[in-house]
Amino acid sequence: MPNIDTLKRIENFFHLANEKIYNNEEKVICRKGKKETISGFCTILQTLLDNTHEVAKNSKASFEIQAQVQSWIDYASLYIYAGKEDKHICKQLLQELNSYLEDKSYFVGQSLTVADIAVFYTIYDLMKRQTPLEKENLLNLSRWFDHLQQIDDIRQNLEQINFTTIYLHGWATGTR
Amino acid sequence: MAAQGTLYTYPENFRAYKALIAAQFSGAKVKVAQDFVFGETNKTEAFLKKFPSGKVPAFEANDGKVLSESNAIAYFLSNAQLRGGNCVYQQAQIQQWISFAENEVVPASCAWVFPLLGIMPFNKNAVEQAKKDAFAVLEVLNKHFLGNTFLVGERITLADIVVFSNLLHLFQYVLEPTVRAPFTNVTRWFNTILNQPQVLAVLKNYQVCAKQLQFDPKKFAEFQAKSGSAAPKKEAVKKDEKKPAAKKEKEPVEEMDAAELALAAEPKSKDPFDALPKGTFNFDDFKRVYSNEEEAKSIPYFFEKFDAENYSIWYGEYKYNHELTKTFMSCNLITGMFQRIDKMRKAAFASVCLFGGDNDSTISGIWVWRGQDLAFELSPDWQVDYEVYDWKKLDAKSEETKKLVTQYFSWAGEDKQGRKFNQGKIFK
Repeated sequence: MPNIDTLKRIENFFHLANEKIYNNEEKVICRKGKKETISGFCTILQTLLDNTHEVAKNSKASFEIQAQVQSWIDYASLYIYAGKEDKHICKQLLQELNSYLEDKSYFVGQSLTVADIAVFYTIYDLMKRQTPLEKENLLNLSRWFDHLQQIDDIRQNLEQINFTTIYLHGWATGTR
Repeated sequence: MAAQGTLYTYPENFRAYKALIAAQFSGAKVKVAQDFVFGETNKTEAFLKKFPSGKVPAFEANDGKVLSESNAIAYFLSNAQLRGGNCVYQQAQIQQWISFAENEVVPASCAWVFPLLGIMPFNKNAVEQAKKDAFAVLEVLNKHFLGNTFLVGERITLADIVVFSNLLHLFQYVLEPTVRAPFTNVTRWFNTILNQPQVLAVLKNYQVCAKQLQFDPKKFAEFQAKSGSAAPKKEAVKKDEKKPAAKKEKEPVEEMDAAELALAAEPKSKDPFDALPKGTFNFDDFKRVYSNEEEAKSIPYFFEKFDAENYSIWYGEYKYNHELTKTFMSCNLITGMFQRIDKMRKAAFASVCLFGGDNDSTISGIWVWRGQDLAFELSPDWQVDYEVYDWKKLDAKSEETKKLVTQYFSWAGEDKQGRKFNQGKIFK
């Protein structure tokens, strides 16, 4: 399951009080709240949306949006996180995300939602490993990723990934 | 503090949208003047005093500040984020895209869309050129949006709002799905901007085009008919717009190419003589008699049938006889004129004669046509040559006229100075 780090960063993003996040003895991720302890990545993430931050509002704009956000969070935790260590699966995953973003600025709807943020943290180290040449084949994903990492609250203390070369190659190759 | 004030515009003005969207983002309180009537309010003295150009959108702040020009108003109503923050480079980039929007997007968009909306004459070549220009613009944007979510920086800025607003017509009327397919990135960005709550609040009924608008000649005719009254999109039509194209636009056939259009328009082009009463004189009959019979028969026939009420006889004399040199050149002068007024021949007849020889000759002729006035004035197409002649209307009943007509129709006699008849040309 996605790691503690991702949830901590999302906690920070929403400027929420840092609670203890840990894996319990059954290796299930838990967040110790004031009243009760919540377990499970998706469930914890839902509780983090209980605030007035713009992104939280965007993520709950309508039932459709909510459902789509949920499905991307599931996708991030079940597929991306699980497949991260396998080179071939990774390649396919990133390509999938790339083609998904071909005609979209954000994963859900037309504004930043927690789905973007969850996917961002989940693929951060993957993107970091990509060579310039590989990034060149992921232009849409790179555009989206770069857009998100420019937001200070999202990047936090993470190292900025360089996409400069794609601007050089970008005009020559096109999307498809 | 956010600005407050009133915006003057006609409904659904894409330029006014810029200001209204910017105001939505910044929280500026802008109300649209409800009693504004385009073509009336903006012609009043009070309005012109505030906004000398009389153009809309125009903005008046509650504290009395006035602004015209949409981009300036939008800038005024923006917040720091829309203006590019503190970074001068970003602010400059925004200016760059605003200029691009005005100089590249708007001309192409208008030249393509307005003829289809019927508020500009349709010219196939011009529209094709506009299409090319529009595609070039979209290509530039497409490349930019491949690597960027927004135009400048990573936030929505005035640049996005202005370029977006100027692209609205293209996406609304002509960029159907197959046409916009090559421009995925632009479409993606356009949809993102379009679906921002602040934008949706302004553009309430906007739909991206599902099917390309086709040229409809009826619309242009309708627009022409009512353009005296205040049509909402009238502002876009240039004042110096030429009217003659209107005739062609009425062809109720879609998608003809320019050549077909011209051909189809041809037979309908009105005969300027149609306005005049036909009378009893039949030119065709007379011309037949004149061609087939001896003058001894055809000239009396002419006077017998001639209808002096509806037709007139004229004497035309070349003004610059002293400039005439070779006789064949003088003859070309006459036949050239005949060719240029070819359309007149249905209701006119003439015998023009050259008297004298090389370097000493004169041109004069007898003309007959329908109507009592100079026929050349009926159509601009016929006015190339007539001014180099002195025209004298002859009294159809007088003996003198009879003599003159007989002389010219039978190609005989001499001119006033006694030069011998050389050659004659008949216009029939």
